[in-house]
Amino acid sequence: MNKLTSLKMGVTALFAAGIFTSCAEENDPIVETPPVEDAFMEINGGGSTFPNMAFVKLSNETQTTISRESWDLAFSNGSEFKVLINGTTGAMAYETDFTSFEELENDYLENLRTSGTLVLDFNNMNSILYVDDPKNPIQNGTALGTIGSSEAEASVFVYQRGNSGVEDRDWHKVKVFRSGDRYVLQFAPVSSNEVTTVEISKTQDFNFVYYSLDHGTVEVEPQKGNWDFVWTAGTSSTPFPQATNETLGYFFQDLVYHNIYGGVEAGVVMEDDIAYEEFSEPNISSITFNSNDRLTIGSSWRAGGGPNSSPAVREDRYYILKDTQGNVYKLRFLSLTTGGERGRPSLEYALVQ
Amino acid sequence: MFRISLNKTIFLCVSFSLISLSLLAKGIKGEVKDIQGNPVPFATISSSDGKGAVADDQGRFEIQLVSSECMLQAQAMGYKTQSVVATLEEEFISIVLLEDISSLEEVVITGNFEAQSARQSVYQVRSIGRETIEKRAAGNIQEVLNTELGIRFSQDNALGGSNLEMLGMSGQNVKVLIDGVPMVGRQGVSNEININQIDINQIEKIEIIEGPMSVMYGADALAGVINIITKRGTNTQGYDISARMQEETVGNSYSAFSGAGNHIRSIQGQYRTAGPWSFGASFTQNRFGGWKGSFTGRQFEWLPKNQNIGTAFLGFQKGNWELDYSLDVLEETIFSFGPENRIENIDREFQTSRLMHRFQGRLDASEKFKASIQAAYTDYSRETVTWITNQRTAETSLSNAPNAQGSLQYNGLTVRATGLWSISKTFNLQPGIDINTENGVGDRISNNEGIQDYAFFLSSEISIKDKLRLRPGLRRAYNSAYEAPPVIPSINTKLALGKRLDLRAAYAKGFRAPSIRELYFDFFDASHSIRGNPDLRPETSHSFNTSLNLEPLEGKVFQYGAVLTGFYNEVSDQIAYSLDPTDPRITTLFNVEEFKTMGLSFNHRIRVKDWNANLGFARIGRYNRISTDSQNLPEMLFSNEFNANVDYKFKSIDTYISLFYKYTGALPGFEMVMSPDRELIPNAIQIDGFHWMDLTFRKDFGKSLQLQTGIRNLMNLTNIQSTATSGGAHGGGPQRPMGYGRSYFLGITYQLSK
Repeated sequence: MNKLTSLKMGVTALFAAGIFTSCAEENDPIVETPPVEDAFMEINGGGSTFPNMAFVKLSNETQTTISRESWDLAFSNGSEFKVLINGTTGAMAYETDFTSFEELENDYLENLRTSGTLVLDFNNMNSILYVDDPKNPIQNGTALGTIGSSEAEASVFVYQRGNSGVEDRDWHKVKVFRSGDRYVLQFAPVSSNEVTTVEISKTQDFNFVYYSLDHGTVEVEPQKGNWDFVWTAGTSSTPFPQATNETLGYFFQDLVYHNIYGGVEAGVVMEDDIAYEEFSEPNISSITFNSNDRLTIGSSWRAGGGPNSSPAVREDRYYILKDTQGNVYKLRFLSLTTGGERGRPSLEYALVQ
Repeated sequence: MFRISLNKTIFLCVSFSLISLSLLAKGIKGEVKDIQGNPVPFATISSSDGKGAVADDQGRFEIQLVSSECMLQAQAMGYKTQSVVATLEEEFISIVLLEDISSLEEVVITGNFEAQSARQSVYQVRSIGRETIEKRAAGNIQEVLNTELGIRFSQDNALGGSNLEMLGMSGQNVKVLIDGVPMVGRQGVSNEININQIDINQIEKIEIIEGPMSVMYGADALAGVINIITKRGTNTQGYDISARMQEETVGNSYSAFSGAGNHIRSIQGQYRTAGPWSFGASFTQNRFGGWKGSFTGRQFEWLPKNQNIGTAFLGFQKGNWELDYSLDVLEETIFSFGPENRIENIDREFQTSRLMHRFQGRLDASEKFKASIQAAYTDYSRETVTWITNQRTAETSLSNAPNAQGSLQYNGLTVRATGLWSISKTFNLQPGIDINTENGVGDRISNNEGIQDYAFFLSSEISIKDKLRLRPGLRRAYNSAYEAPPVIPSINTKLALGKRLDLRAAYAKGFRAPSIRELYFDFFDASHSIRGNPDLRPETSHSFNTSLNLEPLEGKVFQYGAVLTGFYNEVSDQIAYSLDPTDPRITTLFNVEEFKTMGLSFNHRIRVKDWNANLGFARIGRYNRISTDSQNLPEMLFSNEFNANVDYKFKSIDTYISLFYKYTGALPGFEMVMSPDRELIPNAIQIDGFHWMDLTFRKDFGKSLQLQTGIRNLMNLTNIQSTATSGGAHGGGPQRPMGYGRSYFLGITYQLSK
């Protein structure tokens, strides 16, 4: 009975959300709607090939989905000059010793290709060197490193656009440097020296400006105050004694990043300490929130499975999220699948404060 | 009528011959038959007045009688010696020989045209007979073979199957035959057959030949052959019905007759008419309830399994003809329950069905020539079915997710014709043709035109003065999918060193064909990038085997026999997974590696009164692949095995007690690891050794009722540890499942025959 009612509520809530979003597109959302009290949500990751990034805003029960392949580089709008590569496709970037595209010869590229340096898998013990820091790339380091202040000093990178769960695409030569308070991006396919040069300016409403080598500037994230977390496949890392820095980069298909650059905070609670049903406002003070590790939820919400067991949601924990409007939600994952299909996880959440 | 005494007869013979030697001497014709009326070829007949004759291959003989009444004695291998009285008045005399049960056990068929005395065979054959299978009260073949030397099983608990390894070589190199016909399994024809998909209750005996049998059986018989010989009809007119029921715990889980535990039910019947016909049928149900192990929820470490196996056969035997059709049906479902989930539970079933038609015909055309044909067609399919149960609505439906429903189908046709051309008593030729075609269709198998294999083989057996037997052989094959080795030679020899002592030595070239999976299986998803390689060549081997066999002396209180064997194998072009050098993201297969195995085993057979013991030791070496890069590592890594089977019969109460034990020693290995100063260095690893022990009791109530009880896995073995840091998703990792703990069984067998 209980299950049925909560399902009904979920369905009603979804309906409401559908109406709300369709209104939102047509009219300016001037009316302040109260935050959603509780909801059940099926995340539209796109199915078993997990093609989507799904940005979720809990307080208005919306999710925005976009293909992982739709972008290649993300230019930070923060105070520093930082550029992310597309970890959601498993992209990797290799810094060459050259500063001009013409210097990159075919043999050099062929050696790089057959060496497996830019392959993100368990055989590549050095992969961590060519990907962004999975927890907090702006703070801890990116594959493209410090952005040079002039064209002359910026290195050429070989950019592998990512082939984890997406079709492989041609490698590119990429070079980024600063020009005043703007970024300058130069790129060309590895097989050509036909260089495209674009200037990218920072904007205040978004965490990043996203750029696709095929389609130019694209909108990927909602405005930075309009999402709490994103469910996506992406590059993560795991301790591995044989690997460089004893850390192996690897691709994980069920990551949850909370919006650390937008100021959303997250914490973990174990069921053994306080049961999900029991968690209420007075408990909030016991939570250690953070906004410097976007992997706080990360891959911890599910067990990976093994020779004898399937991957499954970890039912021993749940999460507390504090959004940018000051709403505090408790949130737990319910399922890895919908209709048996991976890439469609479900969760439920409730407003605590 | 008067009673015959030998002395009197001799006296009579002598006195008659003295009187009229030339007058009365007369030839008498006769034949030697078995109790079914089939001729017994090559029996030796001797008369009490000193004459002798040898029957031809139709059992016919002619012998000179000197006296008017004389004693004739007929002897043949596998039969009890029989004496009859012959008088001059008789024109034709029939001698009926009874089968000698004790020597019947020593008959082997594998590798030969027809059943042959094990002592005479040039092959060293290990036989595991019905008696042993019954004593073990086994529910599957693995439970019979798991204490055999040189055989290791590994469990794939992700899929609920198991693989075997023989003499250090993987199961892909072991050809599994059922009555000489190759079986089809999940990997295609004869590759990694799940040996537990065969009805144990239908097995008459299991013959194991170590070393390549590629001349006789073609691809994949590289490490050896396991030939499963099924029961056939009764030898005389009448029927034979038996039923078996066995209840067994699975570790400590059990519920009566269904659910938890292991439940075996089987019934079979055979009938032979007075005429040429015989027929039979059987049905067996195996219900394995699974074992949860460390799981507390819905999941099982050992997956529950249902098996229904049916067989039927029809036989015809008249004159020189023998025809036989049999049908084997297998339905198996393995249940893989997913973890509990707040929204939906996902459960999978692996459904295997196999239909095997077999036809065998034999014609004994003349004294000189016999021919036989075997044809078999197998339809094998394996379906993966995924069910979703919504926890909130309790509705169950099939999953629509991609790859949730899968299917894999193989069919294989084998036609095999062999002949036995006896040119003289000491020289014969055995020509044969072997046609194998197989097709595989499945979700992950790329388009292919199947594999067709056509082969011609010829072997010859030459015996020199009953001391030395030589058997050279050649096989020439054509294969549509890969380049078959041009000529496969082999030579087997047997030298009788003494009355009880035989030496055998053999060289053979073996080959293992790439399987349909290895050629065409492509598997790409989030965690797999595997591609088949259609350009693979077969693995080939040079193999040397030798054995020294001391037969026990029959009829003594203390009987001792022993077999000492040694082997050396050198495999080239071993197929192994590796990264594609042109595309390091993809794992594919290559003919890259060299591999070697060597070893020896020493078996003892001791019988004292009602005690019977088999003790064996084996030491098996496997090539250390890493030794090519690191000079200071041993080239071969050895592991030891020891087994002991002891049984005792309490004659007074018709009860047998049997102990089966094997110690499988640690399996050493090396893996490359990164040293602290970031260099790849070899690191010694091992899979731990383990003890396996079964204790069984059997009590006979008259001839028709048997009660079996006992303890399987007395040592309470579950997992063994591996120190390797890397491992595959299927059975790798630090824990290797070996058993599900100590189990108890109680079984009853009822037999009725007339």
